[in-house]
Amino acid sequence: MGGWRGLRGAIRLQLQIVVADRGYLNEIIANPFFAIIFLGVVRASGRHDLTSFALVAPVLMTLWAMSLEISGSVVDADRGLGILEEVVATPTRFSTVVFGRVLAVTMLSTVAVVETGLVARLGFGVHVTLHHPALFVAALFVTTLAMTGTALVMAGAFVLAGGARTFQNTMNYPIYLLAGVLVPISFLPGWLRPVSRLIFLSWSADLLRGALQPGPVSDVLPRLGAIVVSGATGFVVGSVTLRIVLRRVRQLGTIGHV
Amino acid sequence: MTADSRAAVSVDDLFRVFHTKKRPEVIALDHVSLSVDEGEVHGLLGPNGAGKTTLVKVLSTILLPTSGSAQVMGHDVVTATAEVRPLIGIVLGGERGLYNRLTARQNLRYWAALYKLEPRAGRARADALLERVGLAARADDRVQTYSRGMRQRLHLARGLVHDPPVLFLDEPSTGMDPVAARELRAIVGELAAEGRTIFLTTHDMAEAEAVCNRVTLIDHGHLLATESPRALSVRLSRFERIECEGAADAVLASLAALRGVSRVTAVGVSTHIEVEADGVVTEVMRRLVGAGVTSVRVTRPSLEEVYLNLIGKRGMDI
Repeated sequence: MGGWRGLRGAIRLQLQIVVADRGYLNEIIANPFFAIIFLGVVRASGRHDLTSFALVAPVLMTLWAMSLEISGSVVDADRGLGILEEVVATPTRFSTVVFGRVLAVTMLSTVAVVETGLVARLGFGVHVTLHHPALFVAALFVTTLAMTGTALVMAGAFVLAGGARTFQNTMNYPIYLLAGVLVPISFLPGWLRPVSRLIFLSWSADLLRGALQPGPVSDVLPRLGAIVVSGATGFVVGSVTLRIVLRRVRQLGTIGHV
Repeated sequence: MTADSRAAVSVDDLFRVFHTKKRPEVIALDHVSLSVDEGEVHGLLGPNGAGKTTLVKVLSTILLPTSGSAQVMGHDVVTATAEVRPLIGIVLGGERGLYNRLTARQNLRYWAALYKLEPRAGRARADALLERVGLAARADDRVQTYSRGMRQRLHLARGLVHDPPVLFLDEPSTGMDPVAARELRAIVGELAAEGRTIFLTTHDMAEAEAVCNRVTLIDHGHLLATESPRALSVRLSRFERIECEGAADAVLASLAALRGVSRVTAVGVSTHIEVEADGVVTEVMRRLVGAGVTSVRVTRPSLEEVYLNLIGKRGMDI
């Protein structure tokens, strides 16, 4: 019960911080521009069969970038403000605090769905129809949780080394390509495709695009399961990593080092 | 002194070293032993870099000791952090440590949640504490608009949000104006009257004297003495040093023979005359000036020098 209170407090805090500091919304603000570019490319190339890619890509990119960005800034900002040490010394696990704060922002990032839909309709006259709304919502929900779990792993790296954020920033676009978020996985070399399936974003992208198509969507439960397992694995690995890293920085005396 | 399981805070042979790349290792705590009774206000007095903050951070589970042990209310700070954390409040002080873009109320409600207070209780506690530290009228203003003194009071409220029986205050009045510092001391007095154990670090002797039952003197990671602040203050005020240049040997010899002068030593081109009794400085100065010495100044020896001197004369009974 106490853990839930800490989680709820972390979610509320992060939402208050976002309201007070709009800088946290950069990715959400950038999302319509990505949507314009992708939809424009699809239209210019005459590849209307890839419209679903152009709709889903900016949404997933926003979710991914926001979740990783916030996992880094939770650590960096708290460190910079001299708060990290005191947070670590509270009865609430630090992984719970990070999870709550990342979850708040990632959930907020789902507004990218509405933004992208509006860009498609107002800018390109594309009426987006959710042929499988329940699947779309379910896929978006588990994707949000999986991203939050993955962000926990990154938070551990951020606690240990501030330079990890540079690595995170450089990895975003290779991940988008590898996971088939920007272009179909079938465009990738054959030897690379199995690697794509190790990234939960590939399953998320498939399901979200499938929910936009009129035809039946195959293997829904296994795909949702793959995302859930990825998220749960991220959460467990992230929690354990954070615990190990925190013990290490308590030994080194570097928790509060900026 | 050994760890006492009935004490609010007990520290036994605690050693903490910091290893840094390309620099020699720093011993922050050198086999420190200490006991603080329940309900006591205990001051840790020492200059910057003495090891005060390191000890507070070890006791508040932020840092791990290199060796030795420490308990808070009988719980080990390394192996029983889950038991220790709800029992302690931490006020690390300074300008930092708060979400500047949020209000005082928002800050306190967050900390209440992290200390697992039920939301309604957290709200009520935040309101009560803001009233107590005199910030109720500014509770919904952003912290970035607060003065340093107001921030320090908010820090204190944050440390009390879960009503802890043990409170660690690290230099709580640093940067405060005298009026704000006095108000803070009054609050510390109230908290002590409520039966809380307060462990307070400071480099301000007057602060320690005003609020502490006992004071431990620390320097370079060594505990030098634990006494009542009154006794400590008397000891410190007796010790002074006169530094002079150009005094004749005969004058120095007469000063060395003067009652209350403990030592006369040559240090480079100057001579240090150590004094350990009230009123002797005036007599030494009179004799030096009378002998035509014009380069004279009076300084305080370091706290460590004073206490090493004391320990040397009285044995290890301090």
